[in-house]
Amino acid sequence: MSYWQRIKNILIGIAFLIFSLDLFFFPREEFQYVALILCILLFVRGIRQLIFYFSMARHMVGGKTVLYRAVIVLDLAMFCIGLVSVSSFVIMIYLLIFYGYSGAVDILRANEARHFGTKVWKTKMVNGIIRLVFAILLFVLGLIFYSTDLLIYGFCVSLVYSGIMRIITSFRKTAIVYIQ
Amino acid sequence: MNSDFHYYATYCAAILSGYSHEEAMTICYSDQLVDLCSKTLLQELKAPASAATTQLQLELMDARTDIVGLQDITRIWSSFHFLPRDLDAKPHKKCSKTYLNKYRLICGPNGELVKMTVELAKEKGLQAVGLAMHILADTWAHTYFAGTPSMVINNTNYHFYELISGEEGEIRRKITFRHSASLPDDLENSVYTSSLPQNSENSIMNLGHGRAGHLPDYSFIRYLYLPAWGEYEEFTKDNPSDYHHAFCQMIYAMKYLRGVNDEFETDQYDTEAIEPYDEEIDSIIRKRQPDASADWKAFGEKLSGQTIEPFDLMRYQGEYKNASENEKNDTFIGQFIIAALAQKSMVTNQIFRRGSKLAGYSVDYGKKGFRGDKAYRMLIERLEGMDK
Repeated sequence: MSYWQRIKNILIGIAFLIFSLDLFFFPREEFQYVALILCILLFVRGIRQLIFYFSMARHMVGGKTVLYRAVIVLDLAMFCIGLVSVSSFVIMIYLLIFYGYSGAVDILRANEARHFGTKVWKTKMVNGIIRLVFAILLFVLGLIFYSTDLLIYGFCVSLVYSGIMRIITSFRKTAIVYIQ
Repeated sequence: MNSDFHYYATYCAAILSGYSHEEAMTICYSDQLVDLCSKTLLQELKAPASAATTQLQLELMDARTDIVGLQDITRIWSSFHFLPRDLDAKPHKKCSKTYLNKYRLICGPNGELVKMTVELAKEKGLQAVGLAMHILADTWAHTYFAGTPSMVINNTNYHFYELISGEEGEIRRKITFRHSASLPDDLENSVYTSSLPQNSENSIMNLGHGRAGHLPDYSFIRYLYLPAWGEYEEFTKDNPSDYHHAFCQMIYAMKYLRGVNDEFETDQYDTEAIEPYDEEIDSIIRKRQPDASADWKAFGEKLSGQTIEPFDLMRYQGEYKNASENEKNDTFIGQFIIAALAQKSMVTNQIFRRGSKLAGYSVDYGKKGFRGDKAYRMLIERLEGMDK
């Protein structure tokens, strides 16, 4: 990782932590911003796909689909701006499904590591179970009580985790030594 | 390639190049170990995880696709399974640097790096020989794919045909890909398992030959398709011919490593050594079967007159675990780890020198001293040991 990538990663990590705290203490006030950010992310994704097409995918067999997709995503971003106040609950459910999936992958990985006889699987297993159970619990409670607040708190936890992981990764030594 | 070629065929090649049964067993074991030496295994052995030569399926699923994660993946797969053919290659059309860096990682035989790989293994022990043979053989099987997640390089589409020779000449049979890992490939009907199509450039599904399933690993198959990078040109992959070349080149390389040949040049094959067995080898390679282990094993045992024991991943683990810290590097696995670190270090450096950071950062110890991953200190210790 270059110095710039390290600094960028740390800044993004800190931003995640600040945002999650803000969301935790002022869930209702901030939620509109979450939904708006998701729309912006869609827009950025569309732009990135356009850049990806012109810099790389235009060389690829069938690369035109990337261009079509970029246009559709941009269109969707515009459409989503109008749905911010209506679709917030659905957006949170989508985020929780993703969170639960990453927990399930952790459990499978830990199980694989255990199968190989390593001693470093327990933390991963506990982490995976907590995330999966947490996601399912929030999902079910969210559906029963139709409570967006519950989902927001779940989202906060995933943000804290991502932020911390980014900061830790920034301090990893990654260079490979070459000896002639 | 699978264990049939990496283990049993490598044993045969080692015997034909003049190694003894015991030496050939060490070489073929090390060759096959490349496909199994994952971070998970190394953690279990309390060995440096940086020496991993492969990633398990779930390790890949769990792998981060940020810059550090991608570099880790590329270092492993480009160094040991998809050795780039030409790091100075340029596509026909003008392209961005990002595309160029990925394009240059496309694997193929007889490149400059394969020569460096074989030369690096010289006088470094039999584990290094086995490791180098794995990489050399894979340059033939994995041609046209890159050891980095990349949709624009590794993707395939519906235009995929198997070439089948029959009484009425050669016919094209459309290949159907399915995405169920639990179902075996249906060779009779050309139905094969491949990774899921993913539109993300850096998705793990777009790593290596995942999108073409196990086709590159079958010695009998011939197929034509449109590689994502190939500008709509049909490419034919002739595995029987490629596996034959790989076998002959391994013998030539091992004769160099034994000191019989003075130098290793690319595009050289020891066809003389296999002349008496050419028909038998060809029939094993062309036989339509998912696993040719039994045939290669029988051929190897006929060559040496000895029994080839099946591969056992546990065989040398006790020796490594029970060795003291000072003795670990002298164990079987210790020697393998040093060879793996040296190979990774060399390939990463070559990619980095071309201005690409896809495999990570490389620090030249001679110029800048030691920096970065501590596990690589083992290489310095070995160098100092050799000087003494």
